[in-house]
Amino acid sequence: MSKQEDFVLRALEERDVRFVRLWFTDVLGFLKSVAVAPAELEGAFSEGIGFDGSAIEGFARVHEADMLAKPDPTTFQILPWRGDSPSTARMFCDIEMPDGSPSYADPRHVLKRTLGRAADKGFTFYTHPEIEFYLFKDTPVPGAEPEPVDRSGYFDHTAQSMGADFRREAIHMLESMGISVEFSHHEAGPGQQEIDLRYADALSTADNIMTFRTVIREVALNQGIWASFMPKPFTTHPGSGMHTHVSLFEGDQNAFYEAGAEYQLSQTGRQFIAGVLRHASEISVVTNQWVNSYKRMMTGGEAPSYICWGHNNRSAMIRVPMYKPEKGQSTRIELRTIDAACNPYLAFAVTLAAGMKGIEGGYELPREAEDDVWALTERERKALGIQPLPRSLSEAISVAEDSELLAETLGEHVFDYFLRNKRAEWDEYRGQVSAFERDQMLPVL
Amino acid sequence: MIRPTTGKTALLRLGFVDTDAALERLRGLGDAADPLLAVLGHTADPDEALAGLGRLLEAAPDAPVLLETLADDEGTAMRLLAVLGASPALGDHLVHHPEHWHELTDPLLGSTRPPAYALRESLLRAVGADPHADSPVSAMADAEAVDALRVEYRRLLVRLVARDLAHGLGVDDVAAELSDLAAGTLEAALAIARQRVGVAADLVRLAVVAMGKCGGHELNYVSDVDVIFVHEPVEGAPEAAALRAATQLASNLIQICSDHTGEGTIWPVDAALRPEGKAGPLVRTLASHRGYYERWAKTWEFQALLKARPVAGDLALGAAYVEMVAPMVWSAAERDNFVEDTQAMRRRVVDHIPAREAERQIKLGSGGLRDVEFAVQLLQLVHGRADERIRVPTTLSALAELTRGGYVGREDGEAMHEAYAFLRKLEHRIQLRRLQRTHVVPDDEEALRCLGRSLGLMKTPVASFTRVLEHHRREVRRLHEKLFYRPLLSAVAAIPGHEVRLSPEAAEKRLRALGYLDARAALRHLEALTSGVSRRANIQRTLLPAMLGWFAEGADPDAGLFGFRRISESLGSTPWYLATLRDEGEVAHRLARLLATSRYATALLEREPEGVRMLAGDLVPAGSAALTAEMIATATRQEDPEEAVRRIRAIRRRELVRIAAGDVLGLTDVADVGDGLTRLTDATLESTLRVVEAAVRRQRGLDEAPTRMAIVAMGRYGGFELSYGSDADVLFVHDPVPGADAQQASSYAQAVANELRRLLAAPGSDPALEVDADLRPEGRQGALVRTLDSYAAYYARWSKVWEAQALLRADAVVGDPDLCRRFTELIDPLRFPEQGISEDDVLEVRRIKARVDRERLPRGADPQTHLKLGRGGLSDIEWTVQLIQMRFAGQVPGLRTPRTLAALEAARHAGLIEDADAEVLEHAWRRVSRTRNAATLVRGKPSDQLPPDTRERVGVANILGYGPGESEEMVNDHLRCTRKARGVVDRVFWED
Repeated sequence: MSKQEDFVLRALEERDVRFVRLWFTDVLGFLKSVAVAPAELEGAFSEGIGFDGSAIEGFARVHEADMLAKPDPTTFQILPWRGDSPSTARMFCDIEMPDGSPSYADPRHVLKRTLGRAADKGFTFYTHPEIEFYLFKDTPVPGAEPEPVDRSGYFDHTAQSMGADFRREAIHMLESMGISVEFSHHEAGPGQQEIDLRYADALSTADNIMTFRTVIREVALNQGIWASFMPKPFTTHPGSGMHTHVSLFEGDQNAFYEAGAEYQLSQTGRQFIAGVLRHASEISVVTNQWVNSYKRMMTGGEAPSYICWGHNNRSAMIRVPMYKPEKGQSTRIELRTIDAACNPYLAFAVTLAAGMKGIEGGYELPREAEDDVWALTERERKALGIQPLPRSLSEAISVAEDSELLAETLGEHVFDYFLRNKRAEWDEYRGQVSAFERDQMLPVL
Repeated sequence: MIRPTTGKTALLRLGFVDTDAALERLRGLGDAADPLLAVLGHTADPDEALAGLGRLLEAAPDAPVLLETLADDEGTAMRLLAVLGASPALGDHLVHHPEHWHELTDPLLGSTRPPAYALRESLLRAVGADPHADSPVSAMADAEAVDALRVEYRRLLVRLVARDLAHGLGVDDVAAELSDLAAGTLEAALAIARQRVGVAADLVRLAVVAMGKCGGHELNYVSDVDVIFVHEPVEGAPEAAALRAATQLASNLIQICSDHTGEGTIWPVDAALRPEGKAGPLVRTLASHRGYYERWAKTWEFQALLKARPVAGDLALGAAYVEMVAPMVWSAAERDNFVEDTQAMRRRVVDHIPAREAERQIKLGSGGLRDVEFAVQLLQLVHGRADERIRVPTTLSALAELTRGGYVGREDGEAMHEAYAFLRKLEHRIQLRRLQRTHVVPDDEEALRCLGRSLGLMKTPVASFTRVLEHHRREVRRLHEKLFYRPLLSAVAAIPGHEVRLSPEAAEKRLRALGYLDARAALRHLEALTSGVSRRANIQRTLLPAMLGWFAEGADPDAGLFGFRRISESLGSTPWYLATLRDEGEVAHRLARLLATSRYATALLEREPEGVRMLAGDLVPAGSAALTAEMIATATRQEDPEEAVRRIRAIRRRELVRIAAGDVLGLTDVADVGDGLTRLTDATLESTLRVVEAAVRRQRGLDEAPTRMAIVAMGRYGGFELSYGSDADVLFVHDPVPGADAQQASSYAQAVANELRRLLAAPGSDPALEVDADLRPEGRQGALVRTLDSYAAYYARWSKVWEAQALLRADAVVGDPDLCRRFTELIDPLRFPEQGISEDDVLEVRRIKARVDRERLPRGADPQTHLKLGRGGLSDIEWTVQLIQMRFAGQVPGLRTPRTLAALEAARHAGLIEDADAEVLEHAWRRVSRTRNAATLVRGKPSDQLPPDTRERVGVANILGYGPGESEEMVNDHLRCTRKARGVVDRVFWED
């Protein structure tokens, strides 16, 4: 480790870094940042930087406020949008208590703990997110319908397109921060974009998603537009999700792969899917944490509403992609519930925990859904044993409250705080009189 | 021919195992057998030595000469057979190169250590290089030179091994000679490398600087040789070309030493200690090294540089390098994170690398070589910047200097030296056998026997060896524990007969490194404890080194030391005190843990120093009968009731120490703690009641008491669930004797109750016992004492469901036994109604609980972690159990108990609660109760809150059995446990 720290200290010197931003994430998934001068960094590596935890959403109660942010030198990067000479760098932090024990309120620690438990069983967890978001012409104005930057659709190529310029610049910045982009294109909604990140271990990916959201917003602001990861900004256009491909590795071997098995999917892979399916409702409040998240999931299209899996079935919650011969290492499954406004650390942690439950409990994989589940009648779905996902944040909270899996994975502190916060969000939402009500009722009642 | 005396018995006595084979082989030796036999008896493995000799005779063209020489020259025989017996690997070498046996005929071997330059010359000549050239270059064909280097290395090694085994060389001399041999080998390898690189080699000056064991002049027979390469272009040479040439020279040198050829290998050369380790360039210039060390190097890297020594190549350049880094090494120790680094090192010293072979690992295992090396380096690190004399690279020399400088006690230093030398010698012997890099003591009998014999333990080699090894390892472990602490004492007190003292600055530095926050105060305590020439100070000086280490393991070392000082001061002249601590190690250890963990126990011990004695026992809480008897016996010897109660309270204080100590040390279960505290309160009340009754009777001139009295335990006291510092909730009841005046009886009872409460709560040196009667009928407005009839009348008229609930935990045990029985009979129908309480009453209980939850929680308290009233806390669990009791105790006799856990068990048994639910509640009740006790023990005052303060939290985690850095895990476990309990309470109590 010390070599890594050395590397960072040297880079500070050589790249003329004047400020280092120490990043961490609050329980709801918002990025927090504290800037330190390079001279303080050596101390930060050994002792951490003290801060008042009670000021951070979900971190601590007032009387136990003292916390330490300890930078992880492996995450050191120069921030490209801050210019160079002098330049600014960032590192992700782990949060610790004054006695050196890792804070249970730190989402990064939640994921690390869960990864550690999987590692005890010999597994490493890899993820590959496809992140969707909208680009708008202006910063949001309360009460006004936002205007997308273009009117294009899926894979459209438009001359002089704002979106294409944007994507080029964004990808350039992401790559310069060491985040590999696999794929990018215009999505189905007007102004909607998709950028896919390369496969990586879940902790790096979660760090990358936090960076990604920041980079996208910075690039948009530079170009005078507004980027948003809100799951469902328009009633009529598709929402923004974060379909996530996941797989487990045992050493160098893809644990989901088995030559000759159906879809080349191993017993482990099948049990993992079974686990995620069985616990899908419990973890929904984390994978889809906002009131608005559930509006994305009720309209069909690319977002699932029912708990089922299928081979290349885009209406299923979990899709087993087409197997490519000679590519046993790339066997994976695609989870289509998660949206881009989640806390990626927590979302990956609960997904992994649910899947691991399936493996540990030897769950039986339910039968594959071969039809478009949207097109089935309620009764047909019942007959096939296909349950719906929670239909609202309120439903998701109720299921989550009884979930031992969730409590165990998040840790008691985050579990309690998160659900309390979500209940408050739902209560506040419930009290709102919406435009829908006025438009429908004022004229007639 | 072999004489008849050389029978099997004689052979066995000499150490042969396979006597048949030995006889056969001896016969083959002819006349030489006889003189050789005695020599064979001194080898590590006579069978192996004899067999090796046989193989050598077969291989040697001059076998008859060899045999003759051996028969005639005992010195040669001794050297050759010792080598063959201890090292089959070198036996193989001799068979391969039989001419090398002549080396061992050299009589100078016994007396003369070859100087380093001679070794260098031999090795250079062997590869065809001119040792006097500025940059010697091998003139042989490459493959030939590489092989020749190996043969020559082994030739010199055979000579050294013979000296080591047959002439009893000191282990430090062997290690130094091995280092010289390595230096010469590196030089010869460089000569071959120069030939490989060709003319480009002339562009650059290259120095090989040895690090680690080779640099420290303390190499093993088989180990990696650590080096750093420094280069400078010769004048006028282009830098890039020079760098290329230097890199080629260095990588070729490494290859030449470590390649396996027909002549085997020498040892791996490891350049990983260079700047940036394996990722960095193999060679650097002086300036590049300087740039790195000035800006990037870590403390441990400078520590590695302690042992840097130029050994080959351009020695002037190497010397310039060492000269350049030397001042930096010690100024580096001025860096800010020095203390953290030191502590990290200490952790490495303490946290032994867990290996499957830990017990047999002489390097890394506990009490192994690494322990000594780390300890020495740590001390050098802490004190070396102020004192140049201890900056010595060799472990044993550094230890000697540290001892001379007073940084290590003299006897400790000597014992450490002896142990280290033994372990190193053992390591050498193990490695010699197969010339393999290993640090593991073999576990088969046969190998152990050879090992023992190779160390000169000829009689019962296995048993002696095992004993000696165990002795030295124990010695290292023991010294290691005290090594850091013992010299601290010399800093604060002039110890007669001790020549040198640790300076106060050095002592403070060391204390901080060990985890004492206020090092200056700690030194003052040490000074107070050890100054003077009294016997007391003397004993303290032997005690404290270990105590200081134990305090440092606790949550609050500073408090531990301070507490120890206060207790020692109040007990100082008590004859048994220091003797007990000195002679019974367990007592001292327990005391240290108690003082550094629990403020409650510390405060008690200060007032009850006699409690220290108790720590030698099993700390099981005493039973109430024995306690009552003791208290009464002590009290009745006193005329004055005040004095009598003081005596009772002193016994109580002593018992509190016992219970608290058992709790902190993890010896007493939480239920037994509550039980013990309750029985202690029983005994206290019983004996005090007697004292007070007698006093009141005397005061009033009564011969007989006008009324009989009893005290009913209520609340947590009644439920056998008292915590430290809890009030005792009680009801006072009396029953006038037939014919007594009611008024007089009542006034008497009133006086007794008041006096009892006053005497037990009176300020004094012993903890007060608050006797609280607020649960009585009509609460504080009601009469303090009532007659049995009055209770009956009250309960008949007024009883509310909450009163029945409070009576669930009524336990009438103190005072008149008959009255106790009748009181119990009176309340049983109330608290255990035959048909259970009505549905309305069930609703009422829930309503009260809802109100209590809201109102009783103190302002600012965290409802998640409040131990009593918080979510899934004690109140939640107890109300749940009590509701079951009130509903079903009429039918289920097992439920008629004041104890929560017993009632819960009965409910489970009767099927009134699911097994799993009962388990959750019991687990939570125990955990929360333990946490509550632990919080009080740590804070020194009662607490119903999981401590928000970090240090206190760490203390609580410590008592609950969590390790360092696990306090957050403790909180998480607590929250999980209480959340689950709340889930059960929601279903079972609220029926949600």
